Amino acid sequence: MGITSRNNRGNFDWLLIVIFLALIGIGWVNIYSASIDPSGVSDFFDLNNLYTRQLLFIGLSLLIIIFILSLDAKFFERFASVIYVTSILSLLGLFIFGKNISGATSWYSFGSFGLQPSEFAKAATALALAKYLSDIQTDVKSFVHQLRAFVIIALPAICIVPQPDPGSALVYAAFFFPLYREGLSGIYLIIGSITIALFVLTLAFGPIYIIAGIVLIALFLLIKNRKKRFGKRYYYILPLVSIVFVLSVNYIFQNVFEQRHRDRFNVVLGKEVDMKSIGYNTYQSEIAIGNGGLTGKGFLKGTQTKGNFVPEQHTDYIFSTVGEEWGFLGSSLVIILFVGLMLRIIFLAERQKSQFSRIYGYSIAGILFIHFLVNIGMVTGVFPTVGIPLPFFSYGGSGLWGFTILLFIFVKLDSNRVNEW
Amino acid sequence: MATSEKNILNRMYLVAGGMFLFALFVAFKLCNIQLAEGDKYKELAEARTERMFTIPANRGNLYAGDGSLLATSVPKYDVRFDALAPKQADFEENIQGLAKGLSEQLGKPVAHYTEVLRKARVNKNRYLLLARNLGYSKYLAIKRLPLFNKGPYRGGIITEQRTVREHPLDKIAERTIGYDRLTEYGRYSEAGLEGAFGPYLRGKEGHRLKQRIAKGQWKPIGDDNIVEPQDGYDVISTIDVNIQDIAHHALLESLEKFEADHGCVVVMDTKSGEVKAISNLGRTEDGGYYEDRNYAVYESAEPGSTFKLMAMVAALEDRVVDTTDIIDTENGRVRFYNRTVYDSHWGGYGKISAARAFELSSNTAFAKMINEGYKDDPKRFLKRLYNMGLNDKLGLEIKGEGSPRFPYPGDANWYGTTLPWMAFGYGVSLTPLQTLTFYNAIANDGEMVKPRFIKEIKKWDVSIEKFEKEVINPAICSQTTIDKVQDMMKHVVERGTGNNIYSKNFSMAGKTGTCQTEYWKEEGKYIASFAGYFPAENPEYSCIVVIHKPNKKIGYYGGTVAGPVFRKIAQKIYSDTPVIDEVKLAEANPETVEQDFETYFEKAQNSEKTIPNVRGMSGMDAISLLENLGLQVEFKGNGKVKSQSLQAGQKISKNQKIILQLS
Repeated sequence: MGITSRNNRGNFDWLLIVIFLALIGIGWVNIYSASIDPSGVSDFFDLNNLYTRQLLFIGLSLLIIIFILSLDAKFFERFASVIYVTSILSLLGLFIFGKNISGATSWYSFGSFGLQPSEFAKAATALALAKYLSDIQTDVKSFVHQLRAFVIIALPAICIVPQPDPGSALVYAAFFFPLYREGLSGIYLIIGSITIALFVLTLAFGPIYIIAGIVLIALFLLIKNRKKRFGKRYYYILPLVSIVFVLSVNYIFQNVFEQRHRDRFNVVLGKEVDMKSIGYNTYQSEIAIGNGGLTGKGFLKGTQTKGNFVPEQHTDYIFSTVGEEWGFLGSSLVIILFVGLMLRIIFLAERQKSQFSRIYGYSIAGILFIHFLVNIGMVTGVFPTVGIPLPFFSYGGSGLWGFTILLFIFVKLDSNRVNEW
Repeated sequence: MATSEKNILNRMYLVAGGMFLFALFVAFKLCNIQLAEGDKYKELAEARTERMFTIPANRGNLYAGDGSLLATSVPKYDVRFDALAPKQADFEENIQGLAKGLSEQLGKPVAHYTEVLRKARVNKNRYLLLARNLGYSKYLAIKRLPLFNKGPYRGGIITEQRTVREHPLDKIAERTIGYDRLTEYGRYSEAGLEGAFGPYLRGKEGHRLKQRIAKGQWKPIGDDNIVEPQDGYDVISTIDVNIQDIAHHALLESLEKFEADHGCVVVMDTKSGEVKAISNLGRTEDGGYYEDRNYAVYESAEPGSTFKLMAMVAALEDRVVDTTDIIDTENGRVRFYNRTVYDSHWGGYGKISAARAFELSSNTAFAKMINEGYKDDPKRFLKRLYNMGLNDKLGLEIKGEGSPRFPYPGDANWYGTTLPWMAFGYGVSLTPLQTLTFYNAIANDGEMVKPRFIKEIKKWDVSIEKFEKEVINPAICSQTTIDKVQDMMKHVVERGTGNNIYSKNFSMAGKTGTCQTEYWKEEGKYIASFAGYFPAENPEYSCIVVIHKPNKKIGYYGGTVAGPVFRKIAQKIYSDTPVIDEVKLAEANPETVEQDFETYFEKAQNSEKTIPNVRGMSGMDAISLLENLGLQVEFKGNGKVKSQSLQAGQKISKNQKIILQLS
């Protein structure tokens, strides 16, 4: 460890660390605002206050950072499998020891604190995937290897879905980013996009129009490319598969999804206008954000925040507090910080010599992006409601620590890049 | 790896670009929400965080003339139990005490409450109804019971308060007291005095702006209410609870006895027009009676024979007839055109004077008298009636007054028979209160006053508005006419159709009325009425009793059905009024007594050291005066002081003796 530690000093990417600290700080200020007792009687150091607890979590996360940075950079690559297996076990253990909090068995309970293993599983999966893909034997273009990679990604997701916590499971879609970067065929991107597009369009317009559209496009392509000699069968197979999929959309929607998911879709698609129950959260959140205007109401002055109109405002809907109290300018700053963080990670990932570090970097960029996309999309009413936290912002120890670990393993890996050979 | 460098770079740009694009999209969406539609959301936000709260005004009380309450607002409480709120330990520890307390307060056995409470907890009932409409003291007692004394969050007690209008007299005069309710459409549904004086009683509601500071918590903005609530004024009605009580029960008794459909009675103070009692009772399906409609005010119907008073007054005023004129009742049947007027006495009364015709209520006599008097100029008769204010509404505060109706010559329904029939009260229409107002004017020597229900409007002890007597017509006819009809009405009770109610102890005057009603539908429906005043000399109260559709088999004459109600009211008021006997005190000459005292007083003040001159003073005064100065007084004789042993002006020494010679 002697060589590494000497060379590492000052090699940390301070920009990442600064953005991280800024996000944590701004996040805490907003949690404070969203959770402070309006009567003002409670003591600041009372651990019943959410903001005090969050401060404690932040303090602990700093210890975690020091711990991670003090480890040997090779530790993560070497022990990736062990970490991954431990993480899967911790997820499975929930089925036996888990505590049910507000309908989901996602927590291990330690007194008044809980630990949510799914938040740590992301980092573990990222490490395991990086390890597998960086193996000299692995070829991303091989279907068998793709399947193995997929199993690594899907295993934790499958453990998480029945908790139930579909939002956290959705995050594993993020691992598409490193796979794609490492050379996964673009066809998956196309197929994935088409599937989502068909699903949403079918729900929005009904299967008849969509099938008609598919047939028209297929005919057009067939006629246009009738001289081509190869690949013609795709012009038959793809539309047929699409049509079968479109026809089954309704079935999937009605049987695989639950009513609350269906409702959320319907609200976003504008099929249901119900601001009282189903669309309530998003509507409240939009009002709060809209109330902020250009410069915001000011710290602790958000009437919607104080009035406790937005449910879960300190966790998943924390961004609405930013929107109301700091306005367009504050929200934009937060978005710039997030985008800056993600782009910086991608930039750093690209300069890694080690494939392991690069894949890991892409993984966390992807994870942060999915969180950012789904959370902000939900809070601003673009996406259906999916309960997933905003990284570094939302209240909660597990989430904060999970993201801290995720990010600082990369900081450590990045600091070590010069030692790679 | 087969992937080329360029391809890789493209992929990186695609990923980074995708992220950047989404960020732009979010920024655009924020722009939209915060800037473009910001005002809309700001309005929405404000609408939900700031709300105007209404502070209801306390409704004023409605009082009877003597200050007893007729209607007042009282809070009522519903108590419910949130069975899940208390902790298990608290619940178990207190359930026995709570059940016992509830049993004491609400009456059901302890076991019942234990079971209900436990069951609610098992069934997770968070809104278990325990009691409704509790008064304040009972509500307080229940709030202090074990478990409930821990409050709503830990004890699970849920209380809901309502304001209820309560009538201490219960069903008596309920309709006249009425109601004044705000309907769901934001309008007032009004009846009776509550309705008529609603604008006074209601007060004005206040407003207070509050801001939501947390879920379910609203903080008032600013120190003051935006609009202070103004409590409603108290309204003091003219109703006399005692007379009202008598009237109510007398009417009820008669209605029940004669199985009548409905009836009303109004008692009015002759001089002032104050309505002392007004009772309206209608029969329900099950044969009971309750205050359903204000018949006295709204029901305009053919008055029948009580209208003979109006006809008589008109005829006397116009000198078309005089009391001594003799009219032939022709065997009790007289034909006019193709219709026949009958007297209720079969065979008629022979030849009788006009006054006697009034006493006996002869239809034939009145038909002939009015027809002969006015047939050349029927308009004159109508004009006379109009002049006396009979065609006008009284203009009562209470809503729904019925209109009087009189046919007029030239109307489509004016026939030759109209005038003679009008003479005994058919073809015209008056409400009981309008008829009473006319009778009251006769009792009041011609001064027609408007019936009044309200004396005063007060705010606490301050008088806001006093209602004085309102004169409709200072003299509806000449005093001669008044004297004549007053005599006739007195005779009705003494020897006419009303003689069944005659009492030698107290005097009454009035007129009976028996009138067929709904004769166009079926035979045998009557309206029995009696209108009059008492005492016959120096009248104090006038009163009308109208009873619709008594059972003909039991009785239907005004004298038998309505008369006794009138008599009962008169008798009760008479016996309740103490007779004032003034006894003059034997007077000593007050001036001399005064003078004596003054001399005594003067001397008592001035003669501290010298012997006063007491000659001429009364012995008693002189002795007390001298003894007060420390002298020993001896006296001889009685009366005034003739001489004194010590001369006036001498210095007094202790225990000196003075001898007075009295005469």
